[in-house]
Amino acid sequence: MGDAAAAQAPALLSARGVHKTYSFGAIPVEVLRGADLEVVQGEWVAVLGSSGSGKSTLLHVMGGLDKPDRGRGEICFQGAPIATTHGARLDAYRNRDIGFVFQFYHLLPELDVLENAMLPAMVGNWFPWLGTRADEARDSARALLESFGLGHRLTHRPAQLSGGERQRVAIARALANTPKVLLADEPTGNLDVKTGEGILDLLSERHARGLTVVMVTHDPAVAARADRVVKLTDGRVEVAFEIER
Amino acid sequence: MYAALLSNRYLTSRLIPFIAIAAVALCVALVVTVVSVMTGFLNMLKDSGRQIVGDVIVSTGIGGMPYGDEFVADLQGLPSVQGASALIDTIGLLRMPYPRGDQKEITHVQVWAVDPASLATVTEYANDLYWKPPVDSDAAQAMAADDPRRRLDASILHDGKTLTESRTGTPGIALGMHVSVGNARQRDGSYLPRYGWFMPDFDVTLTVVPVSSQGKIAEPREQIFPVVNEVQTGVYEVDKNRVYIPLKEGQRLLRLDEAPLFDLDAEPDAQGRYPLIGMTPARVTKLLVRAKSGTTANALRDQVEVAYQAFAARIAADPLRTATMPEFINVLTWEQQLRDLITPVEKEREMMRVLFSLIYLVCAGLILSIFWAIVIEKTRDIGILRSVGASRAGVLWIFLRYGFIIGVVGSALGVLMAWGVIRNINAIHEAIGSDAPQAIWIGTYVLSGLCALALIRAIWRGKLLAILLWLLGTSVLALIATALALHHGTLIWDPSVYYFTIVPDQVDWTTAWSTALGGVLFSVIGAAIPAAKAADIDPVEALRYG
Repeated sequence: MGDAAAAQAPALLSARGVHKTYSFGAIPVEVLRGADLEVVQGEWVAVLGSSGSGKSTLLHVMGGLDKPDRGRGEICFQGAPIATTHGARLDAYRNRDIGFVFQFYHLLPELDVLENAMLPAMVGNWFPWLGTRADEARDSARALLESFGLGHRLTHRPAQLSGGERQRVAIARALANTPKVLLADEPTGNLDVKTGEGILDLLSERHARGLTVVMVTHDPAVAARADRVVKLTDGRVEVAFEIER
Repeated sequence: MYAALLSNRYLTSRLIPFIAIAAVALCVALVVTVVSVMTGFLNMLKDSGRQIVGDVIVSTGIGGMPYGDEFVADLQGLPSVQGASALIDTIGLLRMPYPRGDQKEITHVQVWAVDPASLATVTEYANDLYWKPPVDSDAAQAMAADDPRRRLDASILHDGKTLTESRTGTPGIALGMHVSVGNARQRDGSYLPRYGWFMPDFDVTLTVVPVSSQGKIAEPREQIFPVVNEVQTGVYEVDKNRVYIPLKEGQRLLRLDEAPLFDLDAEPDAQGRYPLIGMTPARVTKLLVRAKSGTTANALRDQVEVAYQAFAARIAADPLRTATMPEFINVLTWEQQLRDLITPVEKEREMMRVLFSLIYLVCAGLILSIFWAIVIEKTRDIGILRSVGASRAGVLWIFLRYGFIIGVVGSALGVLMAWGVIRNINAIHEAIGSDAPQAIWIGTYVLSGLCALALIRAIWRGKLLAILLWLLGTSVLALIATALALHHGTLIWDPSVYYFTIVPDQVDWTTAWSTALGGVLFSVIGAAIPAAKAADIDPVEALRYG
């Protein structure tokens, strides 16, 4: 999707003038200093930045895991403000509209592969083990894992998997509730090049089916897989450029 | 529900929750066992107390109540009364036949001058007579060779029931089982004469002091009584102090018997005798009343009070009755009468309950620290859960549910353990009171030796944890084996202290359920603080932690 199209289409997810300050003891550190980013439906945006530039923070704030400093910035999803919501609405946003993929996979070690992939579905329903919805969630997670080549690993624990397999399970979990946006934080950062390519292929394949992806990375080669790359410097999105295919 | 899934996985994937469950189970088992035994003890005490004094006790002052037999007849006529008996309750000195020589032991006793037949309708007196002939020759053969019961015949029981020595027709005395030092209690609760002092073979001398209705003390009077039997009520305080003599002998010794009444205002005759104007009736100082089943002691007490008012009015209205009735009498239920005995035990039980319930706090503290460690360990999981939309309440519920399960499983196991111990408490007590079987302590030494071999292997391999664990195992088993080898029986439940020969072996289910409920409650409370901490964890911080 080009700049022109992006400029015309309404933003699915946007960050406007986001400031975020952390306190390390008595010293406040302003990580985001008015970051702006708009992501439209079906777009794959890569946020490129060096270590400590605030790209993970931007992702957390956009995903409702964190909030901008009070009154300093706005996050909107489908035009509705997110930063000022809380409680059940924010939980529902994280559960249904957003899927997170982390650099270190963050799978629950006590659950097997299928259970990990079903986790958002279980969280979204109080009684997912009962009735048709439970069966649907289980079937859907199983199908997703099988499509990721993990059909033979369903009852395995994360400790029994390779890094690439773990990241594929994490992506399956992020997609379990068919979210509108996938937020990926250095999804290949902990993998070798070949395995990382496999993960990026998987994201490409999902993106091709219409999934909106926001990915942060420090690696320009990884960022190059996106439709659009923005650069985060000193807490601001400074450069945006479209990848030539 | 993900909370249920995660609770169960956290519970079953590590050892530490089982330590928490064991702690809860032990706490609950301890409280239930102690309080059940105390409750059983209290119930036995109350049951025995009622069997000793009946349901209602009527007491008068030292001057006694005239026409006691008539009031007994009135009471026996009441539809709710099963039996009534009049007696004199006083104190006396008993000169024992021992030791040999001129210097005999004198002991102070509570003297009950009773009508044994009517007393048996109110109390368990007839059944409490200890010395009985063997039921048959087999029973006699089963007794120890020096057991005096082997040579007893039916007269011993008859004499005890009549308080009369049938051979001579002499009024006799029945002693409480522990009045004499001659009775040595055996482990099975039976008695054998010590130093040859089988009391029914001897006479004792009872000295009492008559006191007039005006409170004046007269010359002490004494009488020699043959011991016709001994009485075991089961309550040590009673068996240590009480003796029973016939009512008429008691009345005579205490000058409470029927006597001629002279007109001291008239002129004496030539022999100096005043004119006889009638007879003063015999007196009693106490009446015991037994209710029929279905009538409470309190209801019977009210009926006895009403009956006494009617009886006193009838006597007062009869000009031929010269004796005056006491101005007031005490009518008490057996519980009120035995308050001095029961109240300390009740207080002791409640104190035990409170003290042992403090263990709950230990239990809650233990769970709190275990859960705190688990929450810290699971901080990253909490962040992950929040990232996929889990609410704070959902995270809170994972750990509360975890605590709840530990409480329920631990409490259930605790009640089960307590039930097993209490139901077998007498066998356990018997085992503790006996020498440890040789095979057990030798086997324990062998196990200790095996641990020592494993310890040597661990030292060879240089594994510190294994060295520590095997060293502990070797030492503990060796200590247990030595303790068992040196153990020659300890009598924990001393019947002379706890009144009864058997340890109560019924579970107090009210206590069991309430204690189990407390176990669950404190487990949840112990889990609540770490659970709230988990719910408050910032998800970004939690993910960073991982």
